[in-house]
Formats: sequence, C-alpha cells, structure tokens
Amino acid sequence: MRVVLILLVASTASAQPAALSPRNANYTIDATLDAAGHTITGSEVITWRNITTRAATDLQFHLYWNAWKHDRTTFMRERALGSGGAANQPQRADADRSRIDVTSLKLTSPATAELTTQIHFIQPDDGNADDETVMAVPLPQPVAPGGSTTIEVKWTAQIPRPVARTGVIGSYFFIAQWFPKLGVFQDDGWNCHQFHSHTEFFSDYGVYDVSLTVPQGWMLGATGVERDRRDRADPADRKTTTHRYYQEDVHDFTWTTSPDYIERTARFDHGTLPAVDMRLLLQPEHEGQADRHFDATRVALKYYGEWFGAYPYGHITIVDPAYQSGAGGMEYPTLFTAGTRWLAPDRVTTPEGVTVHEAGHQFWYGLVGNNEFEDAWMDEGFNTFSTARAIAQVYDPNYLAVRYFGGFIPWMFRDIVLARETAGNGLASYRHDAKADKQSTPTYGYYSPTSSSITYSKTALWLNTMERWLGWPALQKIMSTHFERWKFKHPKPQGFFDVTTEVLGRNIGWYFDQVYRSSDVFDYGVQDLKSTREQDQYRTTVVVRRYGEAMFPVDVLVTFKNGERATEHWDGKDRWTLYAYDRPAQALSAEVDPNRVLLLDVNLTNNSRTLEPKGPAAATKWSLKWMVWLQDQLLSWAFFV
Amino acid sequence: MRRVNRAPLILAGVWVMTLLVSLPLTLALRETLAQHLGSSLAGDRAASGVDYDWMQEFGDVATGTAVTFRPTILGFGAVLDNLSAFLDDTTRPVAIVAFASAYVVLWIFLAGGILDRYARDRATRSSGFFAVCGVFFFRFARLAVVQGIVYAFLFGWMHAWLFDRLYPNLIRDLTVERTAFLIRLALYAVFGLVLAGCNLIFDYAKVRAVVEDRRSVLGAITAAARFIGRNYAAAVSLYLLDFLLFLIVIAAYAAVAPSAGGIGASMWIGLMVSELYIVARLWVKLVFWASEIALFQERLAHAGYVARPEPTWPDSPAADAIG
Repeated sequence: MRVVLILLVASTASAQPAALSPRNANYTIDATLDAAGHTITGSEVITWRNITTRAATDLQFHLYWNAWKHDRTTFMRERALGSGGAANQPQRADADRSRIDVTSLKLTSPATAELTTQIHFIQPDDGNADDETVMAVPLPQPVAPGGSTTIEVKWTAQIPRPVARTGVIGSYFFIAQWFPKLGVFQDDGWNCHQFHSHTEFFSDYGVYDVSLTVPQGWMLGATGVERDRRDRADPADRKTTTHRYYQEDVHDFTWTTSPDYIERTARFDHGTLPAVDMRLLLQPEHEGQADRHFDATRVALKYYGEWFGAYPYGHITIVDPAYQSGAGGMEYPTLFTAGTRWLAPDRVTTPEGVTVHEAGHQFWYGLVGNNEFEDAWMDEGFNTFSTARAIAQVYDPNYLAVRYFGGFIPWMFRDIVLARETAGNGLASYRHDAKADKQSTPTYGYYSPTSSSITYSKTALWLNTMERWLGWPALQKIMSTHFERWKFKHPKPQGFFDVTTEVLGRNIGWYFDQVYRSSDVFDYGVQDLKSTREQDQYRTTVVVRRYGEAMFPVDVLVTFKNGERATEHWDGKDRWTLYAYDRPAQALSAEVDPNRVLLLDVNLTNNSRTLEPKGPAAATKWSLKWMVWLQDQLLSWAFFV
Repeated sequence: MRRVNRAPLILAGVWVMTLLVSLPLTLALRETLAQHLGSSLAGDRAASGVDYDWMQEFGDVATGTAVTFRPTILGFGAVLDNLSAFLDDTTRPVAIVAFASAYVVLWIFLAGGILDRYARDRATRSSGFFAVCGVFFFRFARLAVVQGIVYAFLFGWMHAWLFDRLYPNLIRDLTVERTAFLIRLALYAVFGLVLAGCNLIFDYAKVRAVVEDRRSVLGAITAAARFIGRNYAAAVSLYLLDFLLFLIVIAAYAAVAPSAGGIGASMWIGLMVSELYIVARLWVKLVFWASEIALFQERLAHAGYVARPEPTWPDSPAADAIG
C-alpha cells in the first residue's frame, strides 16, 4: 500500500508541467476595490529567491503609482518636457491623482522581522528627492545566492483618473502597475528604476495567485485564468464578489473591472501550435467588432507563433478599453488592451493594428522579458517590425484614414495604401527624430518627446533593412533563435547581437555600431547624371554620394533608353563615387538602392535622377489638387460676407 | 434659382475671381513641389498616382503655406478637411488667411452689384454693375466691421467656450464614444444655429440696404432683424432650403470627387469635375442671396423693386453687357 502511495505521489509530481521560468518572484495578493472611494486596499506575500551570484542586502520595490502623486515626480517632469513645460500640462485635482502607501512590511521567512519603519525612498536614476517610485528596505540578514525570503506587504492606494494606461473613469477601472513590486536583482545589484514618462517595466518571472474583491455583478478580467469566484457581503452590506486568478511563469499581473463590459469567447486553433482560448471584454458600442478583435489576435498568435515560437499559456484576454480610459494599446502577461473607435471602417487597421501589436507583445515582452527601462527597443522595436510584417500578410492593402469633426468621423483615402516598409515601420516618425538619441543610451535616458521614434521606428526599420539585405529566412532564424534562447529570461542587447553572429556565421557588428551605437543617419543620393553624345556613343556619368554619416553597401541601377540596365554594387564607404559608361543609348535614369533595401535612408527623393523628369508635371497635378482644396477653403471664408 | 441662372456671368465672374485669388498660392506651391521633386524618379511616381512616402518627406521640410499640402487635399477629403476646420475653428497658415481675407474684401466689393442685379432681375451693363459695387462698397465695408466683430465673438469666444470649456466638462466622465459624439453634434448644432442666425440677419441687412437704398448699416441690421421677426417661418424655411441645396452639392461631390489620377487627360478631367463643384458651391451662395431678395421683395409686394435709380456711367466702348 505504501509503495502504491509513493508511486502515486511520484506519478502526480511527474505529471505537473515543468516550470517554464525561474519563478523566483512569486506573489500571492489579496486586494479589495472600493469602487466609490477609488481606493484599493491590498496585502501580498512575496516569495523571492536570489538567483544571482551575489548576496542581497536589501530589497527594492517599485511603487509606480507614486509617479502621479504631484507634479514634481520624475515622471511628471519628463512628461512636461513633451508639452512645452509644466504650465501646458492639464491640471489635476487632488482627487484625480494617485498614491500608494505601504502600511506594513515584514519578513516572515527565513526569520521574522518587522521592517516598516525602515522603509525609505531612493532615486537611483536622477536623484530627484521628490520622486517616491522606488522604495528600499534593508534586510536584517543578507539573502545569499540561491537563498529565499518571504515578505508580507500591506498597502493602500488611491486610484488615479486615467494616466499612463491605468486608472478609473466613471465605473471603468483599469488597474495596472498597482502593487508593490520587487525590482530585478542581478549580478550587479538591484535593477529598480524610477518610473519615467516614456519607459515601461521590468520584473522577474513568477507565479501570481491573486484574489480581487470587486462589486457584485461587475465583469472582471485579469492576467491568468479564474480559479474561483465567491459572492459575499461586507460589514457595510455592500455586495461584492471575490475573483481568484492564477497564472504561472509571468512577470506582471493586471486587472480590469466594469459593470459595462460584454464578454465574448473564441478559440485559436492551429495545426502545429497550441490552441489558445480567447476571451474578449468588449465595450457595448463595439459589439459589432468582436470578430475583428479575435481575427487580429489569431493573426498574431499564428504568425508570431510560426516565425518565433509558440505561445504557451493556452488562454489570452483581450480588453477593449472604455472611451477616454486611456488604457488602450498596452500589453500585460496573458492580457492586453486593444483600442478601437465607434466608427471603424474596414480596410483601416483600427482595431487590427493595435490588437496585433499588443497580442504580439505576449512574445516580445511577455515571453522574452527584456528590461524595458533600459532596452525598450528590444520589445517595442522587435514588435513594431513583427506587427507590420504580420499585418502585411493579412490586411493588405490597408488605407490611410483621417478623422474629422473633433476626431470622430473617419474618412478613408483609397488612393493611399499604407506600405509595411514605411508606414508600418514608422519611417516618417524616425526621419523626423533620427538624430535625437543613440539607441544604445538606456531608454529612460532618451529625450522623452522623441523616444518612441528611436525605440519603435528605428528598430523596426533596421530589422526590416536586415530582412531585405540578408533575406527573411536568415532574419527569421536570428529572431527565432533569440526568442528560443531568451524566453522566460532577461536578454540584453549583446545577447541579440551574439545570436546574429552565430546564425549568420559572420559578425555584422559594423551594422549595429551604426544603427544601435550611433545616431548617424543614412542618406545616399544620386548627385549627378549626365549622358551626352560623343561620336557614335553616349558618354554617361553618374555621381552617387553619401550625404549621411552612416554607411551601408548599396546598389546603383542605371537604366538606358534602349532598355539596357547596369547595376553596380557600391560599398557605400566613400563620400562619393563615379560610374561612367559608353553605350549606344542615352541614359534614362540612375537610382541608388533601387530595391530599397536600406529602409533607414532618410531622404528617398534624392535617391534617383532621370533625364526625362516628370517632377514638373507631377507638381502641376498636385498643385491643382491643392488649388481645389484652397478654393473650397476660400468658400468657407465667403460664408462671412 | 431663376434669378441666379438668368445672370450666368455673375456666377462666371465670381468663379474667375475665386480662381484668380487661388492662383498665386497655387503657383507658389507648384514651384516648391517641383523643386522638391527635382529630376527624381519620385516625380514619376507622384505623376502616375500617389507617392505617400514622398508626400511625407515633403511634409517634413515644408514651411508656410506648403504645410497644408497633406493627403487631406485629395478628393472629397478636401471638403471634409475644410468643413471640419470651419466647425472646429482650426488655425490656417498666415498666407492662406491673408489671401482669404483679400477674397472676402473682393466679395464685399462685389456684393452690392450682385444683389442689385438680382434685385432688379434684369440685365445691366458692366459699367452699371461696377458702379453699384462702388456705391455699396463702403456701406458693406461698414457692415463688414460689424460682421467681423460678431463673427470674431462667435469664433473667438463662443466657440472656445462651447468646445474648449463646456464640451470637455460634459464628456469628462463619459466612457461611451457615441455619446460624446452626440454631445459634440449638439454643440455643433447650437453653434451652427447662432452662426446661421447672424448670417441670416446680415444677409437681409445687405438685401434691405440694396433694395431700399439704406445708408445706415445699423439701420439695415435692425430692419433685417425686424423683417426676419415678422416673416420668421418663411425666412427660416428658405434658409433651410438653401442649406439643403448646399448639402446636396456636397453629397454629389462626395460621389464624384476625383481620385489622385495621373497626369494628362485624367488630371484635367479631374480638375474640371472639381471646378464644377466649386462653381456649384458658388451657385449655392448666390442662390442664398437671390432667394432672400426674392422673398423680401415678395413680402413687400414689389417684385423687382429697387429704391435707388439704376446707376448710369459714362458710356464706355469696353462696357460689356452683364447677362
């Protein structure tokens, strides 16, 4: 009998799925929402294991909601940069601000110690004493490498009016970055940055077991799956429901609740990838767009799964945020917010674009957990590239839409097809801000107003350039190898560069030196094209110039009037080069990078010259179109006569 | 409509005026676009359709009037762009405001002649037409000062109050976009009603100034308000009918507005269609005036009555008949 029992226990243990991640930061949280008072009261038990090679002598926690406590925090000061100063920031009433106050902190293992009085705030990034987004507490005994500790924390929090994708509006609550959360302890110490206006987050993987008490009858969505639900009445006879959500191998936990959500479910099935149950929490006014959300999520799960690696969790929650909640377009483990509009025409990728992007973050952010404070390009940039590629597989063509009348009425311009390579990757944004920062600068140190161009667009453009230069099979292998190697871990940039070298069998560090370690721009152009008759031939000369500081090998294509073509391969290193031809036909045009491999080129108009230019005719055409717009504008003014 | 249709040269004249006012900026923009395109192959792409990448690249370096060269100038988008800018009080570049102001001044100058022509409902010579323009220019210029003050108040204060203060407060805690849009629509309606009311009064002030040869602007405004008050249903119904015409023209253009097209014949056909729309818009504006004159005269039981004797001008061999 005993043998049978032992066998049974052993068999049960072996049936448990193996941990996918180190699970070194595990949270059991119990939180209650006071929907009327806009507060959360919570307690948590954190079991933390030191997985580094050095002992930890203190603990550091993120208290993100203190970023919106007043206008002197680092977050608010950085945000004011983008709006031309604090005076241009909308004023917030005190009730609209937020704060998080830790009321108790104690160790319960390996020894018991009350540490509440030793709590203090630190500002590792900028020394701003008014910033209280990082809390530190010394440990009575260091936690040795491999050792563990258990901490009990109690706190209360004031929920803000929506800011940075969290908060409350009406009876809609989106609650993110909401609990005291450990930073990441690394071999060089704690990595626990202050909250910055343009950066996101970084945490260790673990198991989250979270009980949330909210008003009865309200729909709730959260990271993970619901394991239990119990109705109760509190001492004031307010009817509430406690939902228990559970998720393993994730590095964050987010939730949302509202009485207005409608719920839809669907499933992602694929021949070789694991099935995924999809749950959609939808605003009633978007009920007709449920399938668009599901389809876009399927696109991400399918293509990212095929290209990089499988989504392992088996479930995903799509949240369609309420109007003005400011919660749209954000990723959290196993849950993300999309974002759509009441009027959303087909063939305009709202909500598809944001849905694919945020679902895609399950891979680049959720599974591959880079440090978003320091290397946000590793998830945002990778994901922008991947989103554009996935969108192009399914939603091609898609068109430009502009919204009029207070931004409510969309008008689709069927003449303007949005190309993956430029619009999808954000070339216009990058061109504008190309020199704003070196990408290798820690992201929190970027100039806030232009950070997204460097983080999202530049990365997408240099990855797409790699695809066009090395071929998709090579890049796909690089990215999938990187994904496989770093999933459930915290990669650093060098990790990606090493994978690139390994997969290609050669080092292209010179490329990363330029796109990652410098703010130099690429700009090649045809400076001159001449083709004159000399005896019985035409003498054609082409001067190609490198206007930018950055270098990249480019092709030069010269086309002749008899249809002949000459393609040159220029290493692009010198400032200029000359090609000369003696041919029976006159040249028609010369073009540098005719296949548009180098998507980072900031000036495409100067890439070519032709001896039969249609620029003047095009200028006439477009100025006449503009004239009609102007005349229509004049007629608006004539109303006043 | 009949009075407008019987004077096609007036319609042609205001169209030519609109064209001439728009030409200098158009030519300047053409030069800027041509310079930017240079002899590149982007010119070929822009000629045969839309090169959105080039448009964005141009937009990045554009200054002054050229910043308005955006995809929104295309087809019916142009109309929506302007209507939306009108209702949302969007600021335009200085050069466009300057030319638009000049255009308004030209309208003020022509208004007397046009209204007189419609009031008499018979052909006059160009000399007579411009003589009347001259006679009423200064009266209408004074009226324009009053109009300017009123419209400045409406757009400068009332619009800002409605849309920058009231609207954000009304939607502050809304979580349903459709409701927010309905609120905005309601505010557009409020603003539009006040605007149309003022426009109606100023229109009839001009009508009474011309038909009754009034010199006092304030007197004309008061008389206009009195007339509208006594003939409220007819005046408002007529204004609504005219507005309906405006909507029909807009809707028709939405159906036929040309796409980007290429160069050559398609470019000129597209331009012709667009100019037909501009002519139709001008026609609607003239119909507003002519119908208001007709109503006023009909209520006075003096169709075609104009107090002022038909102006004479020294005969000129250059004077052409205005049809």
